[in-house]
Amino acid sequence: MDRRRFLQTASAFTVSAAVAGCLGSAGSDDEPSNSQTQSSGVPSIVENRPDGIYIPSHIEGMKMSGTAEQGDYAFGLMYSYAHRFWNVNGDSTTLTEIEDDDAIHLMANVWDPETGTVLPDTGLSVEIYQDDSLVSQETIYPMLSQPMGFHYGANFGLSGDGAYTVRLNVGAMTTRRTGSFQDRFSEPTTADIPFEYSEQERNEISFERFDTEAGTNGAVDPREMEMMPDSRAPSESTLPGRVIGTGMSNDAQFVVTVIESPPAGIDGDGQYIAVSSRTRYNQMVIPAMGIEGTLLRGDETVYDGEFTRTLDPELNYHYGAVVDSVESGDELTLQVTTQPQTARHEGYETAFGGLMGGMNDVTLAVE
Amino acid sequence: MDSFDGNPSRRQILKTAVAIGGASALSACLNNGGSEPIPSGDPAAKPPRQHAWREYIRHDKYDNSQLPKHQILLYVNFDEEGRPSPETRSTLEESLTVLDRGYEWSNEGLLHTIAYSASYFERFDQSLPEQVTLPQPRALSPFESPTFDTQDAVLHLASDRADVVLEAEQALRGERDTANGESVEAQLTDVATIDSRRTGFVGAGLPAERQDAEGIPDSNPVPEDSPLFMGFEAGFKGNQATEDYVTIEEGPFSGGTTMALSNLRQRLDDWYEEQSFDERVMEMFSPGHAENDLVEGIGSNLEDNSGIDEFVDNIEADAETHGRVGHAQKAARANRDAEGNVKLLRRHFESTDDIGSDQSVASLHFPSLQRRVSDFEEVRRAMNGTDLTQVTPAIRQRVNNGILEYIFVRRRGYFLIPPRRHRSVPMPQPESSS
Ligand code: HEM
Repeated sequence: MDRRRFLQTASAFTVSAAVAGCLGSAGSDDEPSNSQTQSSGVPSIVENRPDGIYIPSHIEGMKMSGTAEQGDYAFGLMYSYAHRFWNVNGDSTTLTEIEDDDAIHLMANVWDPETGTVLPDTGLSVEIYQDDSLVSQETIYPMLSQPMGFHYGANFGLSGDGAYTVRLNVGAMTTRRTGSFQDRFSEPTTADIPFEYSEQERNEISFERFDTEAGTNGAVDPREMEMMPDSRAPSESTLPGRVIGTGMSNDAQFVVTVIESPPAGIDGDGQYIAVSSRTRYNQMVIPAMGIEGTLLRGDETVYDGEFTRTLDPELNYHYGAVVDSVESGDELTLQVTTQPQTARHEGYETAFGGLMGGMNDVTLAVE
Repeated sequence: MDSFDGNPSRRQILKTAVAIGGASALSACLNNGGSEPIPSGDPAAKPPRQHAWREYIRHDKYDNSQLPKHQILLYVNFDEEGRPSPETRSTLEESLTVLDRGYEWSNEGLLHTIAYSASYFERFDQSLPEQVTLPQPRALSPFESPTFDTQDAVLHLASDRADVVLEAEQALRGERDTANGESVEAQLTDVATIDSRRTGFVGAGLPAERQDAEGIPDSNPVPEDSPLFMGFEAGFKGNQATEDYVTIEEGPFSGGTTMALSNLRQRLDDWYEEQSFDERVMEMFSPGHAENDLVEGIGSNLEDNSGIDEFVDNIEADAETHGRVGHAQKAARANRDAEGNVKLLRRHFESTDDIGSDQSVASLHFPSLQRRVSDFEEVRRAMNGTDLTQVTPAIRQRVNNGILEYIFVRRRGYFLIPPRRHRSVPMPQPESSS
C-alpha cells in the first residue's frame, strides 16, 4: 500500500496503533551487530521458563514480501525461518515443531486501511501458487509474538526458489463491531501478493540469540514495521472514557475504562465498561479470550455476566459490557473463562494461561 | 460386477482413466483384460424420476446406499440463443435415449441425470411455476467466495464401471458410433458445448489409491477401506432424506427435484497430522461420539444411522467443554423438518479435479438433492457454526468448527432436475398451452 497515504490517514484519525517513527526495518538490513544467520542451529527452548512472559532463547528477523488493499481490508505479508510455536485449543497448549519440509514461517497482518486498526479474531486462509499450480493451502492461525504482536501465521513448505503468488482469504468478521465499524468487515475478501523466495535470501534474515537474558522476565521490543500498523493497544491516556483501574492476569494486562453510554451498535441503557487487554511490556492487543465479570456495589450485584469481544474504532479490540452505572466504591472482578485462543511464539507460551495454566481473577476497586 | 478391480495393472489404469477421459482412456480400460458384458437398457423401463437411483444401486448390509464408483459431470451451454428450438429438444432427447438404450438403469449399467440452472430459465419470458424455487447460487458462509456455475445445464453420469461412464461420455460427444452396441444417432455436442468436465469416484479403496493427490499428506493416511479421503463413511440411511421426500410433488415439474452442486477443495495435512483419531471423530461427528467411543475405524459400526440426533442439543455445552464441535452435529440442527424427517439427500463423491488446472488436487463434488434449494442453504448455514463462535472463542470461524478448517468451497451451482418427461430443454411451464 501507499505508505504516505497510510501515514496521512493515520494522523487524520489519530491512531494509537500507528507506525511510531516508521524508522525500523522489517528486514535484516540494520539489525544489531550481534545478530547472525540461522546456520548455527536453533537454540533449544529455555529450561525453567517462568510462568509469564519471558525473553526467549532467540529471535528471528523477518522480511516483508508486500502489501495489498482490497475491499475493507489491507494486508501485509512477511516471512521468516520456519519456527516452532504453541497452538492453543481451549485449555490445551501444545508445541508444534518445525517439520522437515517446512521452508518458511509465513505471517500475515490484516488491518483497516482507514484507521490502521489491526483486525484480530477473524479467519484467514492462505493459498500459495507457483504459476497456476497449487503449492499449498491452509487455514492459518492467529498468533502472538513479542516482536510482531498479533498476526496470523503458519509454517509452510515450498517447492524451491522462485516466484510465488500468495493469496490471502480473509473471512468476514463475526466479532461484534461498533461505531463506524458496524457495517464494515462484513464481507470476505481475497488479495494476491507476489512472493519471491530464495533460500539464500531467507538465510540472510537476522537471527539473534539472547544467551544471558534468555529465560528472564521481560519481552524483546516490538519491531517497528514500515508499511504496516502493529497491534498495539491504545495507551491509557488515549483510551476513551474514564480509566477506572488496571490489573494483571498471568501477564495479560487489563486496562478498564468506563464510557457514559455504549458505543453505537450495542443495545442497552447505562454505562459501558470496556476491558482493553494487552501484553505486559509490549502492550499488544490480546484477543479471543472468554471474559466474565461481576460488578458489586456493597451487597448488590450490579452486573454479572459476559464481557463480549468487540472491535471499536476508538476503543480498539476490547471486551465490553453494558451496566446500569459504575460508581465510586464499586468492586469489579474479571474472570478469564477461556484463555486467549491464539497460538504463541516463544516467550509467550507460558503466559496468559498457556502451558502452566492459571489466569487469576482481577479485582478493581473503583475510586 | 467388475471382476478386474483386483488386477493391479487394471487398477492403475482405472485410477486415472476417468479423470483423463477420451478414447485412449476408454480403450485402455477395455483392453486391459476384457470386461463382463454391460447390461443394456430399455428406454421404456426407466423410472419417471431422473433422480431415482437408490433402488438401482448397491447397498451395504445395513441398507445404506453405495453410490456408483465412477462419476462424470459435464457442464454445458446450449449453442442456440434464447428459447431452444424443437430441433434442439429432439436432438438432446435422442442423445439421452441412446444412453437409455445402451445401458441398464443400474450401477452396473448407467445412471444419468440432466439438470438445468436458473440462468437457463432466463432464456424464457415465463417464470418457473410456484412449486419450483430455483435461485442463482450465492455465497453461504462469511468466509467463502466461490465461483458460481451458471452454465445452462449439467449432465451427471454414474456407474460402477469406468468404461461405462467413459463410453457414455464419448457417445454424447459424438466420438463413438455406438454406446454398448447401440448406434449413436444423435449427440449432445450437436446442440451444446461442454464448458467444464469434472470427474470423481467414491467407495472403499478408491480414495486410498489416489491419495498421492495434492492436499493429502505424504504419510498415506487415508484408510484402505474408506469411501472418502477424510477417512469416514457418509450417507447413512438414517441421516439421508428419502427420494420421495426430496421430490417436488405438484405442478408441471412434479417428480423432479432440485440439486445444489458444489466443489470443495480438501486440505488434509492438519486433519491427519495435527489431530488424533478422537479429535477427528469430534470434528466430523460430535464430541459425544468421541467421548462414548461410538466410532470405530471408518464408522461402519454406526450401521444405518450416525446417531447424531442424540448430540444436537448438546452443541453449545460441547463447545464450552471440549472447545470443538462436530460437522454432522452442526448440520443436523437444520436438517430435520418438524416431524423429524431428514431434509437433504447428499450424494457426494471424491475427486482429484482442480477445476481450471491439470493438477491433481483432492476435492469433493457435493450434489445435494432437496425439494427446495432453501433447505440446502439453511443446512449449509447451520454448518458454518457462526453462532458457536460467539459461545466461546475456542470455536473460531474455521478452526475447531467441524471440518471447516480443511474444506474450501470453490464452485457452487443450483439446478432443477426435471422429471424424465421434461428432461430435454424444458420450458418453465412445460405443461401449459403457451
Ligand atoms: C469434504 C467434505 C465433506 C465430508 C468429508 C463430509 C462428511 C460427512 C460425514 C462423515 C457425515 C456423517 C455421516 C452422515 O450422516 O453422512 C456427514 C454428515 C452430514 N454432512 Fe457432510 N461432509 C462434507 C461436506 C458437507 C457439506 C459441504 C455439507 C453441506 C450442507 C454437508 C452436510 C452434511 C449433512 C446435512 C450431514 C448429516 C447430518 C444429519 O444427520 O442431519 N457436508 N458429512
